[in-house]
Amino acid sequence: MTYAFFPGCSMEGTAHDYQKSTVAVSKALGLALPEIPGWTCCGSTSAHQTDHLLSVVLPAKNLVAAEGKTVAVGCAACYSRLKTANYEIANDAQMRTSVAKVVGKDYDGKTEILHLLEILARDVGMRKIAQAVKKPLKGLKVVTYYGCLLSRPPEVTKFDDPENPTLMDEVLEAAGATILEWPHKTECCGAGYSITDVTIVKRLTREILAMAKAAGADCIATACPLCQLNLDLRQKDTEKAAGETFNLPVFYFTQLLGLAFGISRKDLGLRSLVVSPQKLLADRGISV
Amino acid sequence: MNLASTEISGDFTSLVEHESHANLMACLQCQKCTSGCPVAAMADVKPHEIVRMVQFGQRNELLASKMLWQCTSCQTCATRCPQKVSVAAINDGLRRLSVQAKSPSKSAVPAFNSIFMNAVRKRGRMNEAGLMASFKLRTMRLFEDMGKLPMMLWKGKMPLWQAAAPGREEREKMFDRATEVKGGKQ
Repeated sequence: MTYAFFPGCSMEGTAHDYQKSTVAVSKALGLALPEIPGWTCCGSTSAHQTDHLLSVVLPAKNLVAAEGKTVAVGCAACYSRLKTANYEIANDAQMRTSVAKVVGKDYDGKTEILHLLEILARDVGMRKIAQAVKKPLKGLKVVTYYGCLLSRPPEVTKFDDPENPTLMDEVLEAAGATILEWPHKTECCGAGYSITDVTIVKRLTREILAMAKAAGADCIATACPLCQLNLDLRQKDTEKAAGETFNLPVFYFTQLLGLAFGISRKDLGLRSLVVSPQKLLADRGISV
Repeated sequence: MNLASTEISGDFTSLVEHESHANLMACLQCQKCTSGCPVAAMADVKPHEIVRMVQFGQRNELLASKMLWQCTSCQTCATRCPQKVSVAAINDGLRRLSVQAKSPSKSAVPAFNSIFMNAVRKRGRMNEAGLMASFKLRTMRLFEDMGKLPMMLWKGKMPLWQAAAPGREEREKMFDRATEVKGGKQ
C-alpha cells in the first residue's frame, strides 16, 4: 500500500522520533510513504488566526501536489488543517474559486486524507498488525491520548467517535498492551500555547497527567507532536507547579507499536523522550 | 476593510458573521460550550457570553478580550453545540478583526503569529529553533525556557538547521495573490 506522506514541520524537528518510528513501523507493515514532493507548512494555528483564505490555500497547495493520491498524515494539527481545507473547498463554491485563483489550479476538495491511525486500524487491519508482533507489550498499562484535533469537529475530520475514539486503543491492543479506560482521551493539552502562554499548558497538562495517574497508567500513548511535547517536555515543570509527581513516559503510539514489532530503540528514537521509559520497559520485560 | 465605518453595533455583528461564517443568531445560550471549554475557568469573557456580546455588537470589549488569545481552538464548543454555532470560528474572526483594528492586547500570540506566517512565506517550512529565537527577540522573553535548550539539543529535538521548501519566489507570489483576492472580495 502506498500513500502520499505529509510529514509536517514538527516531524523534522521536535517530533523527529515520531517520524523515525513511523517510517520503521510502516516498513515492517509493508506500507510505502513517499513524501509529497516540495511539501510546505500547513499554516497551523497561526494561519487560521490570521488569514482565513491563506489557512485554506496553504493545505490546498499540498493537496494539489499529492495529485489525487490518498494523503497520509501523522501530526494531528496538520491533519486538522488539511481536512478543514477539504471541507471548506468542497462546501463553499466561493472559497473554491478564491483558492483556485491563488493556487493557480482548481481543486475540488476531494483528495482522501488519512491519519496514520486510520491507515493502521482500517487499511492494514488488526490481523496483520497482530501477525507482525514479535514481543507483545504484555502487562504494559497504557492510556491512549488523542487530543483535540483528530476527532473534532467530527463533521470535518470524520475520524472516530469525537468523545470516545478507540482507533489507537485497538491498534495497541493488537500489540498486546493493556488499554485502560479514562475520561481524558480528548481533553486539550494547550497546544501551541507551549511557546506563547505556558501557564495554560501547565494547567491543562496537569489535569491530564493526574487523571492518567489516577487511572493506574504506566504510560501515555499519543498521536500528535504537540500533545507529546506538552505532556513530556513540560512534565517536570508541571510537577513542580502542582507539587505532584507523575513520572509518566509519553510515547508516540508508533514507538510502542515498534517495540512490539521488535524494532530497535534507536530506530524508534526512544532516546528523545524526556521522561525516560527505561525503567518501565525493563520492569515489564520489554526491551529491545 | 475599514473598521472605523463599523461603529454602529449591527454592522459589527454582520462583520463577525461574515468573517466567521458562524450562525450567530441560532445560539440558545444553553452554555454547553462554556461547560466543556478547557479555559473558561480563567476567561474574562466566557464562550456563551462571546456569542451574546457579538449579537449586541459590543465591539470594543470583545476585541480587547483576553479570552481571544487564551482560547486553544480545541473545537470542543463547536463539536458539542446543539445549534452548530462554532465559538471557535467566531474567535478566529474576532482575532483577525482585533489585529486589524490594532486593539490593545497584552498577549504575545499576535507577535508569534506574525513571525510564523512570515517564516512560512519565506521558507515554506518551519524551523522550530529559528521560530523560537525570533519570537524571544521580538517579545524580549529571552530567558524563558532557556534552561530547556541544552536538553533539547541533546535529545535531538532542536536541529539548528532544517531545509527550507523549494520555490520561494512562487510561494511569495502566491501570498501576494491571496492578499489581492481578499481585497477584491471585500
